[in-house]
Amino acid sequence: MTWQHFNWLAPLAIALWLLAAWSAFRHKKAVDVFMIAGILVLGAFIAGFWLNVQRPPMRTMGETRLWYSFFLSGAGYLAYRRWGYPWLLAFSCLMAGMFAAINLFKPEIHSIALMPALQSYFFVPHVTVYMLSYSILAVATLASLLQLRKIGRGKSDPKLYDFLDNLVHIGLGFLMLGLISGAAWAKEAWGHYWSWDPKETWAFITAAAYLLYLHLRLRPTVSPRLTLWTLPLAFALLMITWLGVSLLPSAAGSVHIYS
Amino acid sequence: MDKKLLWRSPWGYRESLIIVAALTVGGWLMQLIAGPFNFYLLHRPVNYAVGGLIILLAFAAVPLRNRPLVKWLSGGPLAVSLLAALLVLSLIMGLTPQMQKQPPHGDFFVRLGFTQVTDSWAFVLVYGLTLLSLAMVIARRLFRPGRRVLFFLNHAGLWLVLAAGGFGAADRERHVMHVTEGQVEWRVYAEDKQVLELPLAIRLDDFDMTEYPARLAVIDRTSGRPLPESNPHFFQIDMEQPEGRLAGWEVTLQEYLPQAVTAGAEGYQASPMPAATQAVRVIARETSGSGAGGGAIRQGWVSGGNRFLPVSPLMLDDHHVLVMTQPEPRSFTSKVKVFTQAGQEREAVIEVNKPLSIGGWMIYQFGYDNQSGRMSNYSSFELVYDPWLYPALAGMLMWALGSLGLIYRGRGAGGEK
Repeated sequence: MTWQHFNWLAPLAIALWLLAAWSAFRHKKAVDVFMIAGILVLGAFIAGFWLNVQRPPMRTMGETRLWYSFFLSGAGYLAYRRWGYPWLLAFSCLMAGMFAAINLFKPEIHSIALMPALQSYFFVPHVTVYMLSYSILAVATLASLLQLRKIGRGKSDPKLYDFLDNLVHIGLGFLMLGLISGAAWAKEAWGHYWSWDPKETWAFITAAAYLLYLHLRLRPTVSPRLTLWTLPLAFALLMITWLGVSLLPSAAGSVHIYS
Repeated sequence: MDKKLLWRSPWGYRESLIIVAALTVGGWLMQLIAGPFNFYLLHRPVNYAVGGLIILLAFAAVPLRNRPLVKWLSGGPLAVSLLAALLVLSLIMGLTPQMQKQPPHGDFFVRLGFTQVTDSWAFVLVYGLTLLSLAMVIARRLFRPGRRVLFFLNHAGLWLVLAAGGFGAADRERHVMHVTEGQVEWRVYAEDKQVLELPLAIRLDDFDMTEYPARLAVIDRTSGRPLPESNPHFFQIDMEQPEGRLAGWEVTLQEYLPQAVTAGAEGYQASPMPAATQAVRVIARETSGSGAGGGAIRQGWVSGGNRFLPVSPLMLDDHHVLVMTQPEPRSFTSKVKVFTQAGQEREAVIEVNKPLSIGGWMIYQFGYDNQSGRMSNYSSFELVYDPWLYPALAGMLMWALGSLGLIYRGRGAGGEK
């Protein structure tokens, strides 16, 4: 499968997700069918594309967006099954659809080549756990904004706090696994496990921000609003780590800029 | 929160934030007065002593765990303040281009250490207090009943990584060695251009590299830019998908030679010579052309050339040329024999992502003569000695297990509260 197939598979997946999101509010029974079908369509494309390019499709920004769509829809669906919030599913579907659409409208140069530094068994787990973590933390951010609104209206929702804290723990767990696998890989490829390369520095910043949230939550004496606002802030830092680092002047010599 | 007087025990967030902020500002002042922190001050055995002292303090404080100072040092408010300080310092690092060497007469921010944060006093002081605070909370929790395996894995793992990374920085050695094919080398240049003799030697038996198939592009004859200019198209050479479109031309691959040399007037033939280049024979058909037969048809060889063979483009019309891009490397490999002073000998093939570990050193494929590519007659290696590597790896392993625990347990991973 090539990017040509994506031109009709992606709209199909997006349509299925949008149907699922709509059903979550109206016909809850149809959600599973639409959602699973949408995830399977994108999953089939990723698998076929992987076979075609004969390397893990995780190198270009366009390729990492495929995984983000895939995991975001998957994580959103699982979270919906677990907690039953329709808005959560709708948001995950919109985000997943948006990233698939970016690949449709703005295809970047896709290359078959994988540079030697990326040819490692660390490559797939490293990128996969990060995409999974980003997806989960995106949902956590949304939940934090919802909680902030509830506090603004007078009362926080303890169930939502449970949900939120669960997501941050799980998302942070994956974030740490991404960081540690990256460090182990760096030792093998670049001679040192931590060189404060700009991408590493920003990964550290992101991790510190989420750790800050968890440690603030340990004590109820801190303003709940301040604590909750660290999550959107942390997610903004995460987005810079993922998408923005290559645009920063400090990243001129980064070894993490590939395409 | 009821208004407790500042500095009355127990210390909370306000006191912690003030102290950590003072430590950071103090570090900046120190930097202005004394210049950057010299990591070689921590050279063995000083780092062992400092690390040992931190551990000793942490355990000595366990019986005093109800004293206000101990409670504060191992408590949540200080942890939050330290995380906030590390966040600010690493943000400075993430936004300011970091330099290997500081210019002697930089502006105010350069003198504060912003261009080399890891070597600045503020960073070192906050990092040090973090190590102490972490060690104290770990020691305190060790002697308290309750669920603590995950807590221990995450915090002690992080402590080991931070300690080994920080203290290890003073003992780590890194050199780049250039070895000519057929020669034995054991000398490297130090930073001050002095020749250093290392306790190990490398003999380079062979260097080789392989390339991916190149890509084709249509370029503008006058500007030399790939077309369409707003969003250039590239066509990956792949004989299983020999047809593609490039900026108004339909390109069909007929024959692809991964290793070719020129033959005859404008042809190529396969040859495994080291100086060989990639060449492809194509037919290009103009898609926008009108009339019965469609547009113009061009055919011929296209090659990107190299240092020894010429570039061979295919002229399409007055404005367009079909060219081959420079191929991307697939692998670099160096066949070597390594000798250590202790008498060890090892033959190995060193590649990117496949370093050789011998006698406490790790040897990495680092570079080659870019201009000559496969013809390079030398290979360079990065040699790294890090006696603190194993504690760091042990810490990473503990931390990874702790992360799995976070994923499995969710918010229950926080332990009893």
